[in-house]
Amino acid sequence: MRIDHTHKRWAIVTAILFLVSLAVYVPYSLESAHGPSGGSAIGIAFGVVGYGLMIFATLLSLRKRFTTWRIGRAQTWMRGHLWLGLLSYPIILFHAGFSLGGSLTTILMILLSLVIASGIFGAVLQHYLPNLITERVAMETIYDQIDRVRAQLVEEADRLRLAFSPTLEGLLAPAMSNERRIAALTLKLVNSQTRSHLTEVYSDQIRPYLSARSARGSNLRSERESKLLFEQMRTVSPEMLHEIFNDLENICQEKRDLDRQSKYHRWLHSWLLGHVPLAAAVMVLGLIHAVVALRY
Amino acid sequence: MSDMVHLTIDGRKVEVPIGTTIFDAARMHDIPIPTLCHQQNEGPVAVCRLCVVDVGARVYAASCIRQCDQNMQVKTNTAEIQAARSSLVELLVADHPSPCVRQQHSGDCELETFAQLYGVSESRFTKRAAPRGQDESSLSILVDHSACILCDRCIRACGEVRHNNVIARQGKGYAAAISFDMDSPMGSSSCVSCGECMVSCPTGALTNKKVVGQHLQEDEGLSLDVKELLQLPVFKGVSGTFLELNRGAIVKRNYKKGDIIFREGDYGSTAFYILEGTVDIYLASPQGHVDTEGTGNGFFSKLRNKLKGRADHQREEENLIKKFISIDANIDLEYDNPVAKLGPGELFGEMTCMSFYPRSATVRAETDCVMLEMLRNVLDVMQKNKTFRAQLELNYRQRALETHLRSVPIFSTLTSNFIEHLREEVELIRYAPGDVIFEQGDKADAFYLVRIGFVKVTEHYPGGELVLAYLSKGSYFGEIGLLGGGGVRTATCSALDHTEVVKISAHDFNEMMATFPDIADRLKAVSDDRIRENKNRFKQVSTVPVDQFLQQGLMEAQSLLVLDLEKCTRCDQCVKGCADSHDGVTRLIRDGLRFDHYLVATSCRQCRDPLCMVGCPVGAIRRKNSLEVIIEDWCIGCGVCANNCPYGNINLQEFAVKESGEVFAQAGDAQARLKKARVIRKATSCNLCHDHPEPSCVYSCPHDAAHRVTPTDFFADMVDQKHLKAID
Repeated sequence: MRIDHTHKRWAIVTAILFLVSLAVYVPYSLESAHGPSGGSAIGIAFGVVGYGLMIFATLLSLRKRFTTWRIGRAQTWMRGHLWLGLLSYPIILFHAGFSLGGSLTTILMILLSLVIASGIFGAVLQHYLPNLITERVAMETIYDQIDRVRAQLVEEADRLRLAFSPTLEGLLAPAMSNERRIAALTLKLVNSQTRSHLTEVYSDQIRPYLSARSARGSNLRSERESKLLFEQMRTVSPEMLHEIFNDLENICQEKRDLDRQSKYHRWLHSWLLGHVPLAAAVMVLGLIHAVVALRY
Repeated sequence: MSDMVHLTIDGRKVEVPIGTTIFDAARMHDIPIPTLCHQQNEGPVAVCRLCVVDVGARVYAASCIRQCDQNMQVKTNTAEIQAARSSLVELLVADHPSPCVRQQHSGDCELETFAQLYGVSESRFTKRAAPRGQDESSLSILVDHSACILCDRCIRACGEVRHNNVIARQGKGYAAAISFDMDSPMGSSSCVSCGECMVSCPTGALTNKKVVGQHLQEDEGLSLDVKELLQLPVFKGVSGTFLELNRGAIVKRNYKKGDIIFREGDYGSTAFYILEGTVDIYLASPQGHVDTEGTGNGFFSKLRNKLKGRADHQREEENLIKKFISIDANIDLEYDNPVAKLGPGELFGEMTCMSFYPRSATVRAETDCVMLEMLRNVLDVMQKNKTFRAQLELNYRQRALETHLRSVPIFSTLTSNFIEHLREEVELIRYAPGDVIFEQGDKADAFYLVRIGFVKVTEHYPGGELVLAYLSKGSYFGEIGLLGGGGVRTATCSALDHTEVVKISAHDFNEMMATFPDIADRLKAVSDDRIRENKNRFKQVSTVPVDQFLQQGLMEAQSLLVLDLEKCTRCDQCVKGCADSHDGVTRLIRDGLRFDHYLVATSCRQCRDPLCMVGCPVGAIRRKNSLEVIIEDWCIGCGVCANNCPYGNINLQEFAVKESGEVFAQAGDAQARLKKARVIRKATSCNLCHDHPEPSCVYSCPHDAAHRVTPTDFFADMVDQKHLKAID
């Protein structure tokens, strides 16, 4: 979620709540004979409030699951998740009196810190990356459709390949225009060395790049390298084929866009793979901690 | 004194009764005299002058009109006469589109035959600079004014032979032409399509218009010969030759009890006229909202509905009245029990036949039936037959007018007495496609109900014309001018296709308003709403910098789902929210046009010009008084709306529907009755989640990226913001 001026109210409310908590904590901390403790009345109160805020933040995932339930707009829940989830951290610190305690509470505090850190990391990513995708991925498609579009690009490239590496079947394919048939036959008759070179470039570089999901190591991942390669292909081939190379170059560009989109999309959402389980662990361990602490 | 005259024609002595014309005398004695304008069954007018003969006078005489004198010496075939005829033919041919339609089709254009006879291959005279044009408005007869030689044969056929008096001459000299009524297009005139004019025409000026590529298979039905057809009252007064020309466009079919004549959603091009027997006409598609959840009455259903914020699917209009479903017949189906019967003398399938809309209902033979199945040219002939027309209108007045009026929510409380009064007073008027019913600024003199077809409502704006609505069967218009429009029309209404409307005069309308004040109040409220909406629209249209988004067709929209790509994390919660609201089937695709950093998602735009509404055979897609386009639960899944939507925003979804079986048991559709539950198709489109306070896509977006916006306001704001940024 983009953190912009529309968050002002939430930020102010959170700040006020923090200051109020601080105002309660400071005298409590100074006046306690043995220092602040999670087991004191105020400490327990901080713990309950902090855990309550964490529960609220956790409920966002449930809210997302039941999209149509009229229990508040999803964006309100998201804002609450961000700001109240953030507020839970100092509250829990106040609860713990800034000490780690036993092993369970130490683990809990570390996990909570990680949850908060991963959350902030995710918020930063979600603030900047959507804009980056919009700017850098001109031909964005639906994420789930990327593999399908990739396959279509390969098919289209294979059809174009027929123009410089013709088979009889390819030449007779209805999809092939007359101009391209003529271009292909011209090339076939004129220069077999060029033809084999182009075919080699296609089968060794272009097709593997297009058909691979990530294509690490391919020089076509670089826009500059790609430009050079196609420039070279145009140089060695008759002008009639240049349009085909332009099309192939565009296909590679589209593939780069799709790869970039995939990459950004992963960044945008994969941090949740850490954040969500950690948060779940915090909630479970927090509950155990509460039960253990209150009972014993 | 003898009653006979004696004369000599081409050297032969002949004797004929006094008063006989030279032309008739020659014909009686097998002496041929060519003519174009004269026919035996019509009075002579001597306009073509091709029948001129030499009677020894100063000038040649037109033999068709000149009576024989005692001892007259007539020469019909001298070289001079031939030369005169040749010149006449050459003059006529000068303007004739050779070969004309008739010559192309049957090779028997009389003028071109004479031209060949006199060796006139090309005229020495200059052709007209601009052709005189064609009139294609009639469904059965094509009028090509360029091929007309003004012989007046059609005029006399229409007046003297058939006594219809529709055709006359208009204009003078070079501008003279035949015209229908007061120079109306033939299709809109009082022409009854008897075909006599066409049969009489010597050239290709009036020709039979075949329905191209369609010929009913006679082997499946009983072929009808002309004599048989002429015996039917509905073809009384129609030219036999004309019917002969349309042979194959009408067949007689026998159906056994229980036979399905056609099913709803089928495509076709014919209408049916019942000669014997009765049929059931009904909707076989089970009614059921596409949203099939949320209707339970149990505790958990109620809780779930409460959580989902889902209201009942009842719409306010449906609560007010007993609702009727309009179909393509002279009767409406009751919403609660959509079955009706039609008997001898009834016509059904008119809209499919005239405008090729899908069948609106299923028809099954209740008893053994005999029917005429016909193509549109024959239907046109039937509909113009005065007797048949009167019968159709009577049927409508008796059977459908009341349900039609009562299905309009605001008229639901009309008393039976007043409807009786209206039965006699209303006028049924037909319009051809494109005909203007009234124009913006005209005096408001009537109120209208749409009986058949679609009416397009448009308003003129500084930048052009804006479509406000398409009104289908069962809708009404013209009330604003009568109530709140100051006595003048505030919009232009025109027929989109073959349309028939019920016209209620201003006098009757005012009487209705005076007698039923509650109707007047409701109508006034609706009218005020419409006026307010129109004013708002006018403000938007005239103040917004439209060029920014005209290119993407966004101006046509009333509501867009836009995603702010700077905020959208591509999490697809909007799609999930949409799917969750609509039985797991999303009505939006998170893809579409990009405008700046906004994505205009593929979802119903609630267009200003909602083309999707055109052609629905059962009027199931309509616009509510607010802006959303909704699809009613009696959608038969024919797919016309989906095909018409230029943005691909309407989809056909399959739904498993449990059937009560009542409808089918009653109608006796065995195939339908056997199945307990079946999969049906219904059209779906975004309905803006009208049963929720906010569309689910927007409600479920956690990133404040999805917004339903009015494009004009939204883009105006955006342009303003950019402008402010630029100033900063």
